[in-house]
Amino acid sequence: MKSSDLLLLMPEIILAVGAMVALMVGVFTKGVLSARLTLTVSLAVMVLALVALWSSGQNQLVLDPFNGLLRLDGFGLYVKSLCLIGGAMALLMGWQWLERESLGRFEIPVLVVIAILGMWLMADAHNLLSLYVGLELQSLCLFVLAAINRDHRESSEAGLKYFLLGALSSGLLLYGASLIYGATGSLGFTEIAAAVKGMGAASLSLGLLMGMVLVISGLAFKISAVPFHMWTPDVYQGSPTPVTGFFAVAPKVAAMAPLVRLLVGPFAEMQESWQQIIILMAVASMVLGAFAAITQNSIKRLLAYSSIANMGYGLIGLAVGTVDGIAGLLLYLSIYAVMTVGAFGVILLLRRGGTSLDRLSDLAGLSKHHPKTAFALAVFMFSMAGIPPLAGFFGKYFIFLSAIDAGFYVLAVVGVLSSVVAAYYYLRIVKIIYFDEARSSFEAPGRIQSWVVGVAVVLIVGYFLLPNGLINQTRAAAAPLFKTEAE
Amino acid sequence: MSTVPPSLELIGVVGVTPYLVVSAILFTLGVFGIFVNRKNVITILMSIELMLLAVSINFVAFSVQLGNLQGQVFSLFVLTVAAAEAAIGLAILLSYYRIRATIAVEDVSSLKG
Amino acid sequence: MILATIAFYFFAAICVASAVLVVTLRNPVHSVLFLILAFFNAAGLFVLLGAEFIAMTLVVVYVGAVAVLFLFVVMMLNIDKVGMKEGFQKYLPIGGIVCAILLAELILAGFGIRAAAGEAAGAASGAVVPPASTLTNTEQLGMVLYTDYFILFQSAGMILLVAMIGAITLTLRHHPRVKRQNVGDQVARDSKSTVRLVKVKSGEGVKP
Repeated sequence: MKSSDLLLLMPEIILAVGAMVALMVGVFTKGVLSARLTLTVSLAVMVLALVALWSSGQNQLVLDPFNGLLRLDGFGLYVKSLCLIGGAMALLMGWQWLERESLGRFEIPVLVVIAILGMWLMADAHNLLSLYVGLELQSLCLFVLAAINRDHRESSEAGLKYFLLGALSSGLLLYGASLIYGATGSLGFTEIAAAVKGMGAASLSLGLLMGMVLVISGLAFKISAVPFHMWTPDVYQGSPTPVTGFFAVAPKVAAMAPLVRLLVGPFAEMQESWQQIIILMAVASMVLGAFAAITQNSIKRLLAYSSIANMGYGLIGLAVGTVDGIAGLLLYLSIYAVMTVGAFGVILLLRRGGTSLDRLSDLAGLSKHHPKTAFALAVFMFSMAGIPPLAGFFGKYFIFLSAIDAGFYVLAVVGVLSSVVAAYYYLRIVKIIYFDEARSSFEAPGRIQSWVVGVAVVLIVGYFLLPNGLINQTRAAAAPLFKTEAE
Repeated sequence: MSTVPPSLELIGVVGVTPYLVVSAILFTLGVFGIFVNRKNVITILMSIELMLLAVSINFVAFSVQLGNLQGQVFSLFVLTVAAAEAAIGLAILLSYYRIRATIAVEDVSSLKG
Repeated sequence: MILATIAFYFFAAICVASAVLVVTLRNPVHSVLFLILAFFNAAGLFVLLGAEFIAMTLVVVYVGAVAVLFLFVVMMLNIDKVGMKEGFQKYLPIGGIVCAILLAELILAGFGIRAAAGEAAGAASGAVVPPASTLTNTEQLGMVLYTDYFILFQSAGMILLVAMIGAITLTLRHHPRVKRQNVGDQVARDSKSTVRLVKVKSGEGVKP
């Protein structure tokens, strides 16, 4: 280890130290303002870390600091920015909701910051050990956040379920990691790649294959791809809504990163083996996500199935495994993040008589009392349904395009068909908010929530004016993954 | 590896495979425990500990066989994380028990679509 | 040499047997005790492998901390032991079949690796080159843990911090009626603020 390596990790150090400062602020201040002060400090730390990240020049270089434990490149930068912005937005707009539910505890911002630190570690991991440590740092925070409403039956149940299945999945991932270590003699991605290449595709050992399958399963759990999705609806429904919004964005993006890094990096030689698995998961997620959502009455459960389906679309990009595929995946994840943050922003506004609402029928007549909010939700639903010229259409378009370019016609067709099915329930929501009988009005929306939702609407609606900017960004982010492999 | 650790003489007797078999059995028992103990979350937590122990055995056995230390370092980290995981798991269990007065996961059913 | 073989089978057999008991026993307290036994024997296996430091850590961390934590929680919860194994019979067949398949696959994978590992061991050039074998296992680990793995060592510290925050967040409750000791207030007290001299006239008593 060189001490100059530490300078490269300045953004991470800011997050870690900042989280501890925020914790101290929360512990040693008393009264109502304590939690708000912690929130302010945490948000300031996140902004500072983002500035440090963007000024680090990480997108220009490919570096392996700390003996190759981490890999700093444009891909990591992109994923890290997405996680941080998504997490910060979820926290910012959820705070008023949390205070109204008297859940405004100072631990929440601290745990969110530490969770983001774990996600960053995952995004940069270039070694199975750093992947595991990052994953656990993230997951442990998420388990606590899910159960944070400890006087609430559903929240505790969500936390317990999430914990048990999460621990099982990290056990699978670990066993897989140990088999990969045994078969290749190393934990570093670079060395594993060399060993896999040395073995040749023909003489792959069963142990290595099994290890890879187990690691993929462990990560698939985190992105809630079918058949590892069972926890998602329950945890989404049981957790406090702002926490659910956080779960829907940041951890999924973060868990996609090591999956991409592993599969197009060390296991690039074994593409034939993993491609089948990923295709299977993608198809199953899209189909199940589309059909299971139809029967849901709870908004949060519906969004859970919607996120399962969305991860299925994203996995198409990974299954293709080309630069275009990965760029499409990143683009899809970015647009998905904006839509999800916006949709949860609207759901947070749905409060009546001091309680939050979760039934689809509660949305009835939203357009009468809150025309702006109703319009925003309609925009997000149209976008998720993939109706042009909204951003969601472009996300799906580029994913399907990359699949067709690489000859995966069946995958593209299944994708299109399942998004037609999914359009049914997105449009049903639009029907409910505009045409169903109105009920009494909702509580007044908070200013911050309105702002976040407004920005999300502008991004989704205005995306088609400048589509190339983001596409070029994602291409540039995906490129280093393939460059180093060729060397 | 230029130098052979003295322990290689020991595993030379039984080889590394028996350790892998023990580890596979322990891991499977852990999964089995999660499957069948629907009424008892504490036993599920113990099953998870068994799985992590199995992984540790795997890592150490491979580490000795390969003659590099990475596996042993990994199992040290697994130990650390397992302790943290046990603490969080038991804390969640406690807050669950306080509301529900039971520790059965099968009854976790107020969440339904 | 034969002693090492016997020791291996001894430790392995007890370890597996107590693991079976951990997942099948009805009483959680007994489960915890057998978990401790399993860990002790696993530590024995680690000693046989020459990983003394991990063996000792296993005993200290698991038996000393984790198992005691388990025991503590088991004692704290008032658990109904009768209904504990109700689902057991129901899930036994399907669980047994799934796990038998899993076991077969994992063992096969283990055998598959042994064949391949011979070649890999020669080719492996890990990022970590262990120091000369004149050092003990503990010294070797110490030399890499705080240098090569410095950043992950720090991250593990963050994990423990999260565990602490999480456990406190979820379980600590301040009851308004419970009187707590405030050391600062106690130390700051002096005679002026607490003792009052009152002249009591006879027959009237003290008015507060």
